[in-house]
Amino acid sequence: MLNSEKLAIAAHLHVLLRRKTGRVTDTEWMASNTEYAAEIVRFARASAQEDGHADLGEWAAKLELAMVPVPPPRPAREHLFGVIGGTTKPAPLPGASDSLFGSSESEAHRYVRGIR
Amino acid sequence: MHRFGTKWVAPWLGMWLLAWSLTAPAQTATSGTVTDATPAVTASAPAAAPTEAAASDSPPAAPPALIKPGLVAQSSLNAADTAWMMTSTALVLLMTLPGIALFYGGMVRKKSVINTMASVVAIASLVSLLWFAVGYSLAFTPGSSWLGGADRLWFSGLSYLKDAGLVAVSHVAPNIPESVYAMFQLTFAIITATLVVGAFVERMRFSAMLLFIGLWSIVVYAPIAHWVWEPGGWLVQMGVLDFAGGSVVHINAGMSGLVCAYMLGARKGYGREPFEPFNLGLTMAGAGLLWVGWFGFNAGSAVASDGRAGLAMAVTHIAASAGAMAWMLGEWVMRGRPSLLGLCSGLVAGLVAITPAAGFITPGSAVIFGGVAGLACYWGATGLKRMLNADDSLDVFGVHGIGGIVGSLMTGYFANKNISGVTGSVATQALGVLAVLVYSGLMSWALLWLTKVIVGLRVDENSELTGLDVSQHREHLGT
Repeated sequence: MLNSEKLAIAAHLHVLLRRKTGRVTDTEWMASNTEYAAEIVRFARASAQEDGHADLGEWAAKLELAMVPVPPPRPAREHLFGVIGGTTKPAPLPGASDSLFGSSESEAHRYVRGIR
Repeated sequence: MHRFGTKWVAPWLGMWLLAWSLTAPAQTATSGTVTDATPAVTASAPAAAPTEAAASDSPPAAPPALIKPGLVAQSSLNAADTAWMMTSTALVLLMTLPGIALFYGGMVRKKSVINTMASVVAIASLVSLLWFAVGYSLAFTPGSSWLGGADRLWFSGLSYLKDAGLVAVSHVAPNIPESVYAMFQLTFAIITATLVVGAFVERMRFSAMLLFIGLWSIVVYAPIAHWVWEPGGWLVQMGVLDFAGGSVVHINAGMSGLVCAYMLGARKGYGREPFEPFNLGLTMAGAGLLWVGWFGFNAGSAVASDGRAGLAMAVTHIAASAGAMAWMLGEWVMRGRPSLLGLCSGLVAGLVAITPAAGFITPGSAVIFGGVAGLACYWGATGLKRMLNADDSLDVFGVHGIGGIVGSLMTGYFANKNISGVTGSVATQALGVLAVLVYSGLMSWALLWLTKVIVGLRVDENSELTGLDVSQHREHLGT
């Protein structure tokens, strides 16, 4: 999922939480830090259950889905065929790794210790 | 056999280069070949007419060589060279304004984009004034082997005397007006200083940045330019080859950037939070401007519109392409996908590495330069960066420092005598690299210490968290 899409979900949840629970959150941090996002999801669901705000639960689920880590890479040989031009494999999903040897880094670490 | 030994080659080559640079009127410190241009005539010679009369009676004698800037007859200038050098000057300035501003501005967080761009514009202006006042004279007039003289302080003597038919030229570039040559070199001083910005973005006080860079351009840049490019400089005499600034510009900026990163410390949250780049589209636009502008940077360093400049342009383009492909492949293999930033970084790596070699090597060698630099700089910006444990925020050392070192060393091996008339030595190149690394590192540290004492280096924590756009400039980007 694109960062802008994550940010849009986080911003929506930020507004809902402010209006319905009074809680102030950090939108950008919510869209980038999985631990913080998980805590917000937990809080939003708890509020949804306690106070009956169904939309909070709905947007919490969206954020949770958006912040799911990227699935593990496919085997190297599979990538090799994909890169060289094998036709038996479908095109990789948007955002999926297209490596010859498979992705070696978690996407969660992107931009953490350097921009490159 | 001699490539790896300086015991005999370096002194011999140094003496030969010195004698050659002093006797051949149309040579430049960076080129090493005789151009097709009309030889220069010194102002002290009794005008052009007697010379022409004498020439008609006997075989043409070589006019006296310039050993320092002076006045020559306007007719001795080469119009094509002059036009190309004026074009190159504009191209190199375009690399900074807006090239570097966009390249760096796109990579920092949104809250400090304006500060990054403002730093580039301010440095361009400040360094221009300092170059006019002091820098050019210290770098490009004869003095000692360590530092130039005071003949051209405040651009004094850069005359154009219409009625007398005379114009000032530099002894380094006798076929073009000295005003053009001084401006061309000014654009190099500007871009070198702006490159350092990438190491200290998002946390340095604007006033501290101005003070440090101002001092740095005089105390660090000008002397190194003199060592490497003025015929009397000690590295030139040792035989160090640097066609367009591999050591003067890139190693110098890279090392200073690394010292800045250590002295300022990391940004708040570095290593724990992701620092999302503002807009990599801007970075790509900046990289494109750098690529195009680099034709002026490298081909302009031939100081002539000749075959060598054309070759420099060709190898520059090839190395940039190879650098982009090498970085892309490295990133693809190691990380699972090719990134736009990787492509942009790779092309810059290739350009950096070819810079010291552009007038010395063949197009085939340029592919190797680009490929090696692309991979080496990828490592420099990732693996080496982790080892150094410095928040060199935009990888000034990883890309420019490593690329400059790789290119300078490879120049010693790949320099082709048929192109330039000179051969290189890896050991001599290594000496040049080491000299620049040590001097640039030590002096940058000293200047940063001085700046810290006078104004302090970092903004306070709140200002950093708020972002330098608001805290330093009271401006912010639109939504």
